[in-house]
Amino acid sequence: MKRSTCLSLLALLLVLALGVSIVAAQDTFMGKTAEELFPGAADDQERASAMAALLAANLPDATSRFAGQTLTVSVQQAGARGGISGPYYFWREAFQAATGATLEIVEIPQAQYYSTTSADFLTSQNSYDVMNIGAWFLADYVVNGWVQPIDAFFEQEGFPTWERDAVFPSLANLMKWDGQWYGALNDGDAQMLYYRKDILTDPTWQEAFKAETGMDMPVPPTTWQELLAVTRFFNGKDWNADGDPDDGISLHLRTGGQGMFHFMSLSAPFAITPADGDDIGRITKFDNVYWFDPDDLTPLINQPGHVKALEFLKELAATGSTAQFGWELAEAWANFLNGNAIATFSWGDVGSLAEDPSRSVIQGKLGGARIPCSEVWYDREAGAFVEDAENPNCVGNTTGGSWYPIMSAFTDTPELAYYFMAMQASQPINFWNVYYGWTGVDPGATYDVFPPTGTASVEDYVSAGYNADDALEYITGYGDNFFSHPIYQTYLRIPGTETMWTILDTRLGQAMIDELPPQEALDLVAQEWDQVNNDLGRAEQLSVYQAGIGYTPGG
Amino acid sequence: MYKKNRARYFFLFPGVIWILVFTIFPLIFSLYLSFTNANMRNFTRATWNFVGFDNYASISSDLRIGDTVNATIFLSAGSLVSTLLLGTFMAWLFNHDIPGLRIFRSILTMPLFAAPIALGFMGLILFNETSGSINTIIRGLGGGGVRWMTDPWSARTAVLILDTWQWTPFVFVIILAAMQSIPEELYEAARLDTGSGWIMFRRITFPLIAPAMGTVALLRLVETFKILDIPLSMLGGGPGAATQTYSYYVYLTGLRSFDMGYASSLAYILVIVSIIISSIYFWRVRARFE
Repeated sequence: MKRSTCLSLLALLLVLALGVSIVAAQDTFMGKTAEELFPGAADDQERASAMAALLAANLPDATSRFAGQTLTVSVQQAGARGGISGPYYFWREAFQAATGATLEIVEIPQAQYYSTTSADFLTSQNSYDVMNIGAWFLADYVVNGWVQPIDAFFEQEGFPTWERDAVFPSLANLMKWDGQWYGALNDGDAQMLYYRKDILTDPTWQEAFKAETGMDMPVPPTTWQELLAVTRFFNGKDWNADGDPDDGISLHLRTGGQGMFHFMSLSAPFAITPADGDDIGRITKFDNVYWFDPDDLTPLINQPGHVKALEFLKELAATGSTAQFGWELAEAWANFLNGNAIATFSWGDVGSLAEDPSRSVIQGKLGGARIPCSEVWYDREAGAFVEDAENPNCVGNTTGGSWYPIMSAFTDTPELAYYFMAMQASQPINFWNVYYGWTGVDPGATYDVFPPTGTASVEDYVSAGYNADDALEYITGYGDNFFSHPIYQTYLRIPGTETMWTILDTRLGQAMIDELPPQEALDLVAQEWDQVNNDLGRAEQLSVYQAGIGYTPGG
Repeated sequence: MYKKNRARYFFLFPGVIWILVFTIFPLIFSLYLSFTNANMRNFTRATWNFVGFDNYASISSDLRIGDTVNATIFLSAGSLVSTLLLGTFMAWLFNHDIPGLRIFRSILTMPLFAAPIALGFMGLILFNETSGSINTIIRGLGGGGVRWMTDPWSARTAVLILDTWQWTPFVFVIILAAMQSIPEELYEAARLDTGSGWIMFRRITFPLIAPAMGTVALLRLVETFKILDIPLSMLGGGPGAATQTYSYYVYLTGLRSFDMGYASSLAYILVIVSIIISSIYFWRVRARFE
C-alpha cells in the first residue's frame, strides 16, 4: 500500500472517529443519557428538548473542582413539577453531572419564605448557600450583610455563561444593588391583561355589547375603564354556554393571597404622572413616584390617585365572583383557565398555563395585551385629577417577585453556588424554562420575546405545545409590558418592604370587603408605613429609597 | 448515702438544664428584649438600644391592636363557652353504661391529636364557598350558602367551629372523668326525692364537677389566647384582618417584621393577662376550699 493511501485512510478514520464521537456526545451529557438526566420529564418531547437545551448551554466540566461538595438551595414550595421550584428539580441531575456535587433543594412555603430565611440568618444558622428570593427581599438581605455580589465571577473561566445584556433593563435593576449584581436571571415578573379573544371578537357579542353600552367592543381593552365596561357587560351572563352565569373578572383578593399586587398594577396609572420635557421617565418630587415623597418619605399611598384606584378596584371586583375575596393565585387563575371569567390581569404564568390542556380549556382562545392605561389620573403637583380618554395615562410595571437566586454571604461553596446560578440563567436553559410554562418561569430576557425587541419566534413556543395565536398574544403582550409603556412604576426596595406590603395587603383586604372605606384603609396604611420607617431609621430609609428609585434631591 | 445523693443530682441535671435553656432563658431574654428596640436591622449586630417602657407605651396607640383584641375576645369567649357546653353535654350523654363506651371515647378524642395547622387546611376545603362540603349541604337543605371565607363574621365563625371541633373532646374527657367519680349513692338518694334528671344534674352533678370545669375553663381560656394556626393556614388572617388574633399579630410583628423588641412587649402583655386570670382563679378556688 502506498504511503499516500495509508495517510488518506488514516485521515478518513480520524474524521469518522471524530464524527462518531460528536454524535455520541450529542446523545449523552457527561456520560449520562437524557433518561438519566431528566427523570422528571413529562414525555419524550420534553426530555429531548431539555437535552438539546442542556447541550446548547455548553456547561463546562467542573467535576474536578466541585466533586463531593454539597449545595443547599432554598426555594418556594411547589414540588418537583411546580412553579419556580420545579425547574430546580428538573435540572438537578444535569447540575450534579456537570459538577460532581450534590444539590439539596429545601422547599419553604411561600408565605413563610421571607421569615424562614431571615430567621435562619438572624440566628446565624446560615443553612442555605443559595436562596431563591422575591425582589422585595433584597434590601433587607443586603443591608444586613447576608448576601454577596456575584460580579467577581463574571470574568472567571469555568462557569456557565449567561447574557446579562439580554435581561430586560427593568428586571436587571431588581437583581442589582448599588450597581452590583446580586441575583442571576431566572423569572421575570410583570402583570399583563388576559382576556377571552374568542368571545370579544364574536360579532354576536359585539352587537350585544354595542346595544347595551353604546360603545364598540374594545379588543383588546386598552384602559381600565374599557376593561370595566367589558367585565361589567359579561358578568352574570352565560357567555360560555354552560347553563350558569359567568364572571367578568377573576382576581386573587384573599388576605395573604398577593392581592396587593393587583392593586399596585392597577393603581399605577391612576397615581403616577410623567415628568415634563423630553425625559418623561425622570424621577422628580411629583413625577414617576408611587410609594413615598422622595424628599421626606411621606407615604403617597393615601393620595387621591391611589384612593381612586382602590375605589375602581372595588368596582372591577364587583364584576366577578364574590368568592374571589377568598381566592389565592391558583384559584383565580383556575377560574379564568376553566373558561368562567372573561378577563384577568396577572403574571406570565397565565399565558403559559393556558396552553396546558390538563389545566385549561381556553387554548386557542386567549387574548393578551399590556397592562391597561387609565383615562383618569391624579396630578399631585397640580393637586387635581386629569381626565383624558383620548390620551390615557400608561404606566408599566414589574409587579411581583421576579424570583431569582442570590448567594449567601456565608456559603462555604461560593464558586459552586455561582455555577448553579449561572447555569439556571444560561440562555438555552432559561429560555427552555420560559417556554415550558409549568416551570413558573416567566419571560425576562430579550431572547424570550419577539422582534423587534427580542429574538424569539412563534415556532419556539409552538414546539413546546403552544397554540401559535396564543403564543403571539401572550408573548407580544408580555414584551409590550416591558418595552412599550412611556413610563414605569418604581419598585419598592427598602428595608421593611415585606412588612409594608403585609400591611397594605391587610388593609386592602379590609377595604375590599367593606370593613373600611378606601380612604380610611389607605390612611391607616400610610400611618403604619410611617411607623415602620421611623422604627428602622427614617434618614437611612430615605437615602435607601432615593437610591433605589434613582432620585437626586434638588435635581 | 453520699453516692445516692450524687446520682439524684445527676438524673435531675438534664431536666434542670432543659428548663433553664428552653424555658427560663427565653422568658428572661424576651423580657429584656421587650425593653429594647431590637429589630432586623440591629439584631445580628447586637446593636439595639434600651428604650425603657417605650414598646409598652406604643401598644396603646397601635392601630392594629383594636382589631386583634376584638377577634381574640370573640374566638376566646366563643370557643370557651361552646367547648364547655358541648363537652359537658357529651360527657353527660356518655356517663351511662353504654356498650363499647371505651371505643367511643377513644374515637371522640381523636380530633385532639390533629395538628391545628392541618385543621386549617382542612377548613380551607370544607368551608370553600363554591365547592366546600359545608356549603353544599347548606344549599342541599335549601339555604343560600355562607360566605365563610369572605365575610368577616362568617370567617370568624368558621374558625370558631374548627377550634370547637378540636377542643370539645378535651373538655369531654375531663368532665366525663369527673362525672364518673361521683358516687352513685348520691343519685340513688336523690331519686327518692325527684325523678327529674335536670334537677339532679343541677344539684348534684354540676356542683361536683364544678372544680374540674373551672380547671378546664382556665386551661381552655389560656389556650384560646394562643389561637394562631387555624386562622393562619385557613384564612391568612383575613378576610381583611377579621381573623388576625392577638397571637397572630405577635407572630407577624416578631417573625414576619422581625420587630423583636415590640413583639416581646406584646407577648408579655399576653403573659401578664394570663397570669392575672390564673391568679384570680386560684385565689377563688383557695378561698372556696379553705
